[in-house]
Amino acid sequence: MVAAAAAGAAAVADLLCGAGIGWRPEIAGVVADLPALRFCEVIAEALAPTTPPRGVAELRERGVAVVPHGVRLSLGGAEPVEAARVTHLAACAAAVGAPLVSEHVSFVRAGGHEAGHLLPLPRTREALGVLTANVRRTQAELDVPLALEPIAALFDWPEDEFSEPDFLTELLERTGTLLLLDVANVHANAVNRGQDARAVIDRMPLDRVAYLHMAGGSERDGLYHDTHTDPVPDAVMALLEHTVSRMPAPPAVMLERDGRYPPAAELRAEFTAVARSAGHPQPRESGSAGERVAP
Amino acid sequence: MSANWSASPTGEFAIPLGEFAAWPTGFADPATSLAARQAELVAALVTGTSDPAGFDGARLDATRAALLRKRAGEAAKHWPLLAASLGPDWAPTFAQVHAGHPSLGPLCDGWDVARALRDRGELTPGAAGELDDAESRLFYDGQGLPRPHRGPRRWFGRR
Repeated sequence: MVAAAAAGAAAVADLLCGAGIGWRPEIAGVVADLPALRFCEVIAEALAPTTPPRGVAELRERGVAVVPHGVRLSLGGAEPVEAARVTHLAACAAAVGAPLVSEHVSFVRAGGHEAGHLLPLPRTREALGVLTANVRRTQAELDVPLALEPIAALFDWPEDEFSEPDFLTELLERTGTLLLLDVANVHANAVNRGQDARAVIDRMPLDRVAYLHMAGGSERDGLYHDTHTDPVPDAVMALLEHTVSRMPAPPAVMLERDGRYPPAAELRAEFTAVARSAGHPQPRESGSAGERVAP
Repeated sequence: MSANWSASPTGEFAIPLGEFAAWPTGFADPATSLAARQAELVAALVTGTSDPAGFDGARLDATRAALLRKRAGEAAKHWPLLAASLGPDWAPTFAQVHAGHPSLGPLCDGWDVARALRDRGELTPGAAGELDDAESRLFYDGQGLPRPHRGPRRWFGRR
């Protein structure tokens, strides 16, 4: 399974390359005009597989890869992952011809209550067991690889037994999944734990990266919040460059923005800056959609 | 407005749940300590029960505040006039109404705030119109998900 996953990682690197963006209906027009856009993510729970939004379908027709990104599977929930949610994710992948799908190392509900956001897991053997079982159940229904994203969290569990890189390495090895590494999440957690973000990156299983996330955030009351509604800070951009310097080839990288959308030119400039920092040369600002650069 | 890609009041595309009969068994006993700890944590974060042992209380406070801000942002998409009428006071007002109360989804979250402001006589005309519009389209009892009004009814909605 691990050998197959390694081969899978290489294939994914071929399928998913260059720069992408999280597709959201509010910015569909800006996304459609981004220069050298190679892939986008859609929130799986917001996607109706039989009727994908027109903007997404048009990108797909242009050859832009579409990756369904689950946010409510609750793979780390102590209860078994809900079968209907897995079926939905698989249907999304089939509907958009996705090269892979992604979800989080997280749980979002327990005891009959929805948390409303991604919550951290205790990094324990017990949680590894729960995650492994849920991930395997999900993989059993998927025809494409699954990438897992470590989240940004404002707190840790008192029962933690592993560091985050060790926990993830063990999880990916057990399940044969790929890594969706959110550079901004690493920054957020390092700041909030008082750690050196670069040292954390260096210990991450970078050989399993399917793609990277980048997003903005801001500090509030001494804590860094991964808001997705602020610009990408310089420190996160620098951490991206450090991450890329530790990888053998420029990885696929994607910008996430989830509200307080800036003017089109600003979003386009941020997308271009992220692409360049990850080693993907961008055409000069021309506004023409569908331009391609050699990978 | 997210109506073009999500018509559900919870903001989530309707996923048919409840077909678990064929799902493999053998999962860990749901009464394990992890299940209990997760339930305790989520309850503390969304219903205001006491924090589970061992966690940093200040960090859980920050998480509760962040969850409420996120809910406020999602509710604002369903209630643009209401949110705009409060400007920078939207998130704090939202938190006052909803702290310690689990969400029924962004539509209901905003609806509760609109009614609270109406009861205090603080709705602007635009926000009042938005509330009237919602009340005419759906019946919401403040406890369960909104549903269509029963029986014949004149529609005043703008859709």
